[in-house]
Amino acid sequence: MSEILIEIKDLECNIDNQKILQGLNLKIKKGEVHAIMGPNGSGKSTLSSVLAGNKNYEVTNGSINFLGEEISEMSPEERSWKGMFLAFQYPVEIPGVSNINFLRTALNERNKYYGIDPIPAKDFLKMVAEKSELVGLNNKLKNRSVNEGFSGGEKKRNEIFQMAMLDPKLSILDETDSGLDIDALKIVANGVNKLKSSENATVVITHYQRLLDYIVPDFVHVLNEGKIIKSGDKSLALELEIKGYDWLKTGENI
Amino acid sequence: MIIKNLTHNSFLKENSKLDLDDLTLGSFPNRKDERWKYTPLRALKKINFHNQFNFKTEHLSSLGLPKIEGLVIVLENGKYNSSLSNIIDLKEIELLFLNGADIDNNSQEPTQKDYFNNLNASFLTEKVVLKIKPNISINEPINFVNIISDDNCISNTQFNIDVFENSKLHIRQYFLGSSNSKDGFINHRNEVTMKINSSLTIDKFQDLNQNFNFCNEFIDQNHDSKFIMNTFSASGVILRNDVFNNVNGKNCHSELNGVFAPTEKQHFDNHTTINHFVADCKSFENYKGVIKESGVGVFNGKVIVHQDAQKIEAFQKNNNILLDDESKIYSKPELEIYADDVRCSHGSTTGRFDEEALFYLRSRGLSVKKSLELMTLGFINEVIEKSNDSEYKEFILKRLLKY
Repeated sequence: MSEILIEIKDLECNIDNQKILQGLNLKIKKGEVHAIMGPNGSGKSTLSSVLAGNKNYEVTNGSINFLGEEISEMSPEERSWKGMFLAFQYPVEIPGVSNINFLRTALNERNKYYGIDPIPAKDFLKMVAEKSELVGLNNKLKNRSVNEGFSGGEKKRNEIFQMAMLDPKLSILDETDSGLDIDALKIVANGVNKLKSSENATVVITHYQRLLDYIVPDFVHVLNEGKIIKSGDKSLALELEIKGYDWLKTGENI
Repeated sequence: MIIKNLTHNSFLKENSKLDLDDLTLGSFPNRKDERWKYTPLRALKKINFHNQFNFKTEHLSSLGLPKIEGLVIVLENGKYNSSLSNIIDLKEIELLFLNGADIDNNSQEPTQKDYFNNLNASFLTEKVVLKIKPNISINEPINFVNIISDDNCISNTQFNIDVFENSKLHIRQYFLGSSNSKDGFINHRNEVTMKINSSLTIDKFQDLNQNFNFCNEFIDQNHDSKFIMNTFSASGVILRNDVFNNVNGKNCHSELNGVFAPTEKQHFDNHTTINHFVADCKSFENYKGVIKESGVGVFNGKVIVHQDAQKIEAFQKNNNILLDDESKIYSKPELEIYADDVRCSHGSTTGRFDEEALFYLRSRGLSVKKSLELMTLGFINEVIEKSNDSEYKEFILKRLLKY
């Protein structure tokens, strides 16, 4: 039996005193791929922000146990060091900071946390070459400022490139398919699949079934009004594609 | 403010003790003076200064300087320090040290109204004159280090740079306060004369710790000359830079850039005036302020385009980041245009770092401190990148970001 990576229990959270998550439960084991779907405003992106440690979201109840440790009060950087990764829906542009310098700093900050020496320049560059190939990231983009002037597709590729560099235990992909054309979608999905192992897990947050053709989930969850209202296997996503969400919402009321 | 022990300076007027409230220097500036509106001088005024010449620094490395190659001219506490200097014989350069009686003959009468200029002229203890012959290019920077290392010491110094026709020069100026001294004051004057088709870059670095540094800078440009000055202000109780750039000939390029990073109640003030007297010139200004821990920044840039100066392109920019609620910036970009066919713009922004960006960096494993450091670096990079010497850049960054 594989190990539990993260267990979310009765999670409730507010933003600006508005209740977004209202008792969410989710358990993810190593090696699994989970898809979270749901209508607009159901709390999908909130869930990803809360897991990554965004302080704009206030956890009012429940627990998040990540690798045997309660993390709901933990800083975003410490979560990252322990193996959490969020691929942002809207990656932030940081003018003047080169992609490469940023990633090297990120890796060295983690090394520092674990008492490991900074990564030698040669090893780092070798790693960059390997990992950027995975998502076909243009060489020029690596030296440019973080996400500045990147196209939508380039930004998403850059997220997966960062994910490859940091090699996280749990990757949360927040609407990584939004704004991607079909070719870019394939490349990004291919990158994610290559990074998959028996030691890590992936959470794919998406509106559309399409992405799940390329990143095949073991479980599909439907989020509505801050709760998971239905879970199933990948066939659930297909059903949603045809029927929409309304049948589930009304079903809940009966 | 009182200056004592002036007996070493035979060239000085009879007074061995001089009250600096003496009206021959002009009245001591206060906040009613437009040019001193944002910079109170109480902290400076209450100090009793002396100008005894003691050398205290044994090695430049003790001031945190990296190894400096080539010609190095060092003044310490207002006096030329030959043991710290490295005077190599550059045939193309004429170097003069004027002090004592010599200085009297060469110093100009205090004609301007400005108090600190008059103070400098009246109490001048060391004047260095550097001339580069015509048709010479020297790429290796020439270094001018001005140290204050004695408590309550006032140092009035001058550096004159004459760049002759078709010549090119790069100067690095370091204004440094030793970390164990306090209430010292370097009141410095730079005078630059640029002949036809000459080129000069000055990188100026100010790291005064618990001391003060004011610089009055006069640049005269003849036609087809190119002047660039990059000012990096890292520490000091009050730092003030007054740049007067007079563009007297056509087809000139004038560029003033700066990064100022006051922390812990430090006060850094940049005043610039670019005078476009003639047509067909370009000027650029780009100052970046990074202010935290009750630091105060001032930027007041003025570009004057005179009546017959047509086809001028002048761009002025000041961007500031405040890292906390206690810090302040007074930003005042000014344009005065009397010609009718010009392209000029000026702008100023002040803000904080984006919270989303901070979260983004932290989610990748950067601590808050490291994230802010990286964002600051990104913010000031545009100016730092003007230098192509990676060692110098690293040194400057380290001091500006204080890591």
